[in-house]
Amino acid sequence: MTPRPRSPRLGVAALVVVVVAALAVGSRGEAGPATPAARADRLAARVRCPTCAGLSAAESEAASSQAVRQEIRARVDAGASDDAILGYLVDRYGEDILLTPPSTGTGSLVWVLPVVALVLAGGALAAAFRRWRAAGAEAATDDDRALVARAREG
Amino acid sequence: MTATTAVPAPARRPRTARWSALAVGLVAVALVAILATRPDARNVIAETTLRGRPAPEVVGPGLDGATVRLSDYRGRWVLVNFFATWCVPCVQEHPELVRFSQRHAPEEAQVVAVVYDDDLGAVRAFFRERGGDWPVVDSPSAKVDFGVRGVPESFLLTPEGIVVDRIVGGVTADGLDGFLAQAQAALG
Repeated sequence: MTPRPRSPRLGVAALVVVVVAALAVGSRGEAGPATPAARADRLAARVRCPTCAGLSAAESEAASSQAVRQEIRARVDAGASDDAILGYLVDRYGEDILLTPPSTGTGSLVWVLPVVALVLAGGALAAAFRRWRAAGAEAATDDDRALVARAREG
Repeated sequence: MTATTAVPAPARRPRTARWSALAVGLVAVALVAILATRPDARNVIAETTLRGRPAPEVVGPGLDGATVRLSDYRGRWVLVNFFATWCVPCVQEHPELVRFSQRHAPEEAQVVAVVYDDDLGAVRAFFRERGGDWPVVDSPSAKVDFGVRGVPESFLLTPEGIVVDRIVGGVTADGLDGFLAQAQAALG
């Protein structure tokens, strides 16, 4: 008994379900930090070292990074929200103090553009597949058949 | 028939060494030229989010243990100077700050130094040795409040305590005079 051929639509549907599930899980982010120290560390990891290049304030031992870490910890202990703490640092150092671009304003383009590009590419591929399928396979002409016959004889 | 012996041609000295020496020489000359003609790294005005806004308050112990408060110096132009004794450009700019202070303090303009990651004992010895009679305050949170990225950094404040300029990488007395005159003219 030969297995029944599966519909390609089933595969596409399964792929869509996996992608949507992955995006849903990814967009939920990590669970909240367990302690104020862990929360301060996580915030410091989102902030650029003010003095050195390529390091976060959590990784760097520069005096400026230590000061940023102390400030973050003091504000965490004072009950400030993550947005308020990061907003304060942006207010003092400028937008470039953040390692992660903001999800609002022009910075949000960094997040939005890849998704838009992905959707457009997917749409273009789907349209191309449909066009190729509609075109169908080319039928062999009499000349083609004669060529094959000569080749077999010869 | 006479036998002839071939005289070996004199060996040509390899030119690689000569070209290498020439290249190294050219690089050295280029480096010297670049270093000699680069602009002065002092008196550099830098961006700050605080420009045009009230300066953050700075409060902390001074060199004699008494509390120093930046807002106590309202009513005169103030140069808030972040410095450390371990910072070479800070050591280099110190005589310039002394000169600026002698020209303007205390009526017209006042220097207020903020210790940046340093020991107050070392700072006391530094001022004893190199002069300077302006107030010094130790306030670890001030560097974040002002968005200081490194030392030396200075902020020029109006008599109302508004930030006018952020100067990075050291100052000279003449440079500060220029910034002060410019700010005074802008204020009318």
